[in-house]
Amino acid sequence: MDYCGIEGSNVSAMGLRKPSKDKRMYRKKTILLLSLSILAIFFSLFYFEKRILAQTSQRKILGAVIQGRVLSPYGPVENARVRVVGEEKYTLTDRQGRYVLQTQHPPVLKLRVTAGKEGWFNNAQITSNSSQDTDIFMYPIYLNDQPDYSFISPVTCAGCHIKLSRYWDQSKMAHTTSNPKVLDMYNGTDALRREGVGPGYRLDNPNSNGNCAECHAPSAVASGRWSQDLNAVLQSSRAEWDGISCDFCHKIRKVTQNKDKPSGVSAVLERQSSSSGPSILVFGPYDDVVVSPMAASYNQVYEQGQYCSVCHSHFKKLDGGKTWSYNKVYSTSEWKGFGLENNTVVPVQTTYQEWKMWQDQLSFDDPNKGKKCQDCHMSWRKEMLPYDNYVVDKGARHMWGTHRSPKNIHPHHFDGGTQTQLKTALAMELEGETSGNRLTVNVYITNTNGGHWVPTGETMRSVMLLLQARDASGKPLKMIKGSRLPEWTGVGKAGAGNYAGLPGAVFARVLGDDQGNLHVPFWRATHIAVDNRIRPKGTVTLQFQFALENPEDEPSAEAKIIYRPVIRPLAEQKRWLVEDILITSSVW
Amino acid sequence: MKRQLYFVYIIIFILLFCLPYQGLAEKITGTVTVKGLRSPANILVYLTNTPSISLDVTRANFVMDQKNLTFLPHILPIPVGATVQFPNNDKVDHNVFSMSRTKKFNLGSYKPGEIKTILFDKPGIVELRCDVHAEMSAYILVMKNPYWAITDAHGKFEIPDIAYLKEQGVSGVENLPAGEYFIKTWHEKLKTQKSSVVVPNNGDVSVEFDLTRGTPSVLYK
Repeated sequence: MDYCGIEGSNVSAMGLRKPSKDKRMYRKKTILLLSLSILAIFFSLFYFEKRILAQTSQRKILGAVIQGRVLSPYGPVENARVRVVGEEKYTLTDRQGRYVLQTQHPPVLKLRVTAGKEGWFNNAQITSNSSQDTDIFMYPIYLNDQPDYSFISPVTCAGCHIKLSRYWDQSKMAHTTSNPKVLDMYNGTDALRREGVGPGYRLDNPNSNGNCAECHAPSAVASGRWSQDLNAVLQSSRAEWDGISCDFCHKIRKVTQNKDKPSGVSAVLERQSSSSGPSILVFGPYDDVVVSPMAASYNQVYEQGQYCSVCHSHFKKLDGGKTWSYNKVYSTSEWKGFGLENNTVVPVQTTYQEWKMWQDQLSFDDPNKGKKCQDCHMSWRKEMLPYDNYVVDKGARHMWGTHRSPKNIHPHHFDGGTQTQLKTALAMELEGETSGNRLTVNVYITNTNGGHWVPTGETMRSVMLLLQARDASGKPLKMIKGSRLPEWTGVGKAGAGNYAGLPGAVFARVLGDDQGNLHVPFWRATHIAVDNRIRPKGTVTLQFQFALENPEDEPSAEAKIIYRPVIRPLAEQKRWLVEDILITSSVW
Repeated sequence: MKRQLYFVYIIIFILLFCLPYQGLAEKITGTVTVKGLRSPANILVYLTNTPSISLDVTRANFVMDQKNLTFLPHILPIPVGATVQFPNNDKVDHNVFSMSRTKKFNLGSYKPGEIKTILFDKPGIVELRCDVHAEMSAYILVMKNPYWAITDAHGKFEIPDIAYLKEQGVSGVENLPAGEYFIKTWHEKLKTQKSSVVVPNNGDVSVEFDLTRGTPSVLYK
């Protein structure tokens, strides 16, 4: 390195020789050139980087455009839902079956594009590297329901859908036939299996199997000429007949009006054994499931509240054209909301209608508009976290799994009258005021989370309000105005759950018969005596007044809202062990 | 010598600067112990009667987050007039709403990544719910005055918690003038306790609470 040791130059203070003038000039020029080169490289890089970045971001925004047609043996398929598998965004085909799908994926990626439409098997196609259209072929489902079809056991489904099956198996939905309370009510037995303990459907109707199996064992009912006696169903070798099984639910093609059914609605099934291969015809809410173990078909009914109406409503036609005065209990709009026109029918369970009535009266811009059964009763639970992106597990996940957002997965827990679900179903607020020797307490009970009336479903359910006011020393105050809990909330010690006579109220639908009996089972009911259940987002205000010995006292009031799954007299008669659930409590 | 005097002047100046704050106000400190709960943390301790104070809540940045099907924090006290942000930092849609008479609102369903805000203009308890996730519940406690504190992991509190309020964008909070106050507790699962406390002219005052499980009372009667 002699750039600082050129011959003939002066010796510097450090002992180095100075370069000659020419050399210095040469060095300066070299440095200048080098600097210019570096600058040029820097600017080029900056410019190209910007372009590359711009292109990338543009691609990110625009991405690949996939287009093509959805075709069938009968020509183009209109209104098919087309999407990149697992993604939220989808598009619909036009009359020529044509679709254009804007994605965020780089054009070089090979993507799986799926198509689904009600009445057709889902199908898929892989995009090609060239600019060729991605056409997808769909095949219709020929209506060929086979009544002698044998429903597939949930155990088979659990082979791939491990978690979903587990959630379902832990729900009441999986054990609707073998539910001891159902069998006791059906047979007229008690918890000790003693016979002749009413009420019991078979005690009153020894020669009739009834129609309980329509909802409590629908697979058995749908399986040809099998007996609808719940006991026979349980004794059969078809274990999958207990409960609302996977294959039964996912064979429902549509839901139609049918006045012959207890709910006034029937599920139309499409049961088909595979003609070749192991594929199982299943309907569901996904239009992008295209995997060999299943012949999947998108069906929008799985995303509708109407789907649940098959069983979550129950009407009883009165014998001999008898009538009852419904307008003493319901308003005309509520009666119409139940879908009833005349007074020859007793609405026993109307959970679906309660929800529909609420939804129908909401304006289109109401935040609650569009909320459906599946949103709350098939939503994620903390115990299921971390979130999963698949509905299949283990090996099936790697072979056939579709990665999708957890928001598009509906865990099948079907929580209903459980602590988890009830805890936020109602809210309560207290407001007190003292005036002279009187304490006035206003209780506001609001149905916050129930999309139906609360309580709903079985008429043996009730919700109780218990209110107690005390003076500053803790001594209970005497109620001088307000309602008290009726006898059927239990006579005896309050500590044992007997609340009859205490200040409070009870909310329930009470069935009655012609002999003046209340809380009769539905098959004996001729009318509804009371129905004061709390409407969705509705608030019930109750006022109570208590006597104050000392006007200067500082009294307090405490209220509890308790859910009781079975009313006390029935639970005692049947010797059922039922636990009350504390929904909420409040102190003023 | 001159240098030493210089330092003395500085110290005197600092002391003089700090004295007005000390003279104006005092704090209420204390500890809460509980029976029937694993931890004495997150209990609200607050004063029901205080002199009126001019608070600036225009820059308040209280946040009620949503993550893993949980509202965070579970209890959020705020001064009346403050705005709360409700970000959805979860992987599923949420629908925050309240049907409490203190504040009724419904934010509707919104996606992960979105934020919505609500102004709370009336004191009282606001019970938060999510319309589609039954397990989700939380409380926004809209306070009449800024004299409250949330207990730490050891049950300790200090009223007012000026540092916390500043962190939340609330300014104008001063220590308490001497006088008698009513002090109460609030926790979703604990019976409310109330007592009176006298704040002296000089020095802090300490209050102890021993709480048991039960139903809390309304914030203000």
